Amino acid sequence: MDATVLRTLLNQVLSLTIEHIVLVAVSCGSAVVIGVAVGIASTRHAGMRRISVAVASVLQTIPSLALFGFLLPIPLIGGIGRHTAILCLILYSLLPILRNTIVGIAGVERPVREAAIAMGMTDRQLLRMVELPLAAPTILAGIRIALVTNIGTAVIAAIIGAGGLGVLIFRGVASVNTLEIMAGAIPAAVLALIADAGMSLLERRMARP
Amino acid sequence: MEGRRILEDLSFGVERGETLVLLGQSGSGKTTALRLINRTLDATSGRICIDGRDIRQLDPIELRRSIGYVIQDFGLLPHWTVEENVSLVPRLLGWEMDKRRRRARELLNQVGLDYQEVHQRRPYRLSGGQKQRVAVARALAAEPGLLLFDEPFGALDPVTRHEMQQQFLILRKQYNVASVFVTHDLLEALALATRIAVLDRGKLEAQVTPGEFITLRTPVARSFLDTLPSGLLDRCAD
Repeated sequence: MDATVLRTLLNQVLSLTIEHIVLVAVSCGSAVVIGVAVGIASTRHAGMRRISVAVASVLQTIPSLALFGFLLPIPLIGGIGRHTAILCLILYSLLPILRNTIVGIAGVERPVREAAIAMGMTDRQLLRMVELPLAAPTILAGIRIALVTNIGTAVIAAIIGAGGLGVLIFRGVASVNTLEIMAGAIPAAVLALIADAGMSLLERRMARP
Repeated sequence: MEGRRILEDLSFGVERGETLVLLGQSGSGKTTALRLINRTLDATSGRICIDGRDIRQLDPIELRRSIGYVIQDFGLLPHWTVEENVSLVPRLLGWEMDKRRRRARELLNQVGLDYQEVHQRRPYRLSGGQKQRVAVARALAAEPGLLLFDEPFGALDPVTRHEMQQQFLILRKQYNVASVFVTHDLLEALALATRIAVLDRGKLEAQVTPGEFITLRTPVARSFLDTLPSGLLDRCAD
């Protein structure tokens, strides 16, 4: 193989990896903000909890490829390009973050919560000083699942023109070029592994001794 | 809960330096009575006053910070150190760090713990007795005028329980604090109470001094007296 071809491919891998990371970072970051906020609100209102978990669960059951498809024809939020892909990835990441936020906060032991309230904590203080710190490992575990899944799902984003490592994989498949497929697949897998290891490290740090 | 009255016709008063013990079986409404006092529950009718002021006119958050509270399961914050736990209410009240530290040191020593040894520990590294001592110190931290105890020593071994009861008597005198103490242990009630209120399914059956208690003929009081080893009463009567 020609050295120039290889160098071009390497450059492409690099820039597509960066695109991929941006897709994942923006969508995952937004999903964390939305998921944790809705999760907190859901622990305060039973009605909200039922609705939010139901919606997020339904979104999660839609195959990711189909979800990209559904969003395409919708005006304003849909269409070809990066923003549609990001929206889709956000929706897809919500459930694990939302669910783990709710489970983590609900998991604070009853006497701990009872004492904190009886000592005169406001609801905000209870959340900041007690519930969130104690739920943090569980919430992080949810973010970890969302992040690792997201890195894989973002590969499909290439199909609606959002770029990322999927570009190489789809092109490789179309032209039966194993090298291109691998050039997309291997960095995506490595990204997922790094993300998983990083999050696991963070989780262990946050978990109580 | 809809419709069911948990407490009815319950009336009592406690002065500084006194301990009113609410004695009753499980489900008699003892804990509910405590929760009405710090407004973690609100009564549907009736009136509760502290220093002559109706608590419904007070802000519930301020009210709770002015009342010490100790429960059987300790309720220590597991991610905070002993010192941070003891300093909880002072922190909520905005005390400065130095003042909180001094107060925590003083309190931990008062409840019989070695400050140097325990102040940096997390609750999981304490024994049950130590945890409850920390919980008592936490309740006293901001020098409340009123203390609420919800079966605080029920989970402790008999020796530790006795030590804690003695400590309670010392602290009550030292702080000249009013206390409402929930228990289903008659001996504990007799040891600590200045008055005993007997609860029968949410109703006040009798309210007496510990000395008068053994003469009671009411059903719940009798059933509690029946739990004492025979012979003990005769000695009490002498």
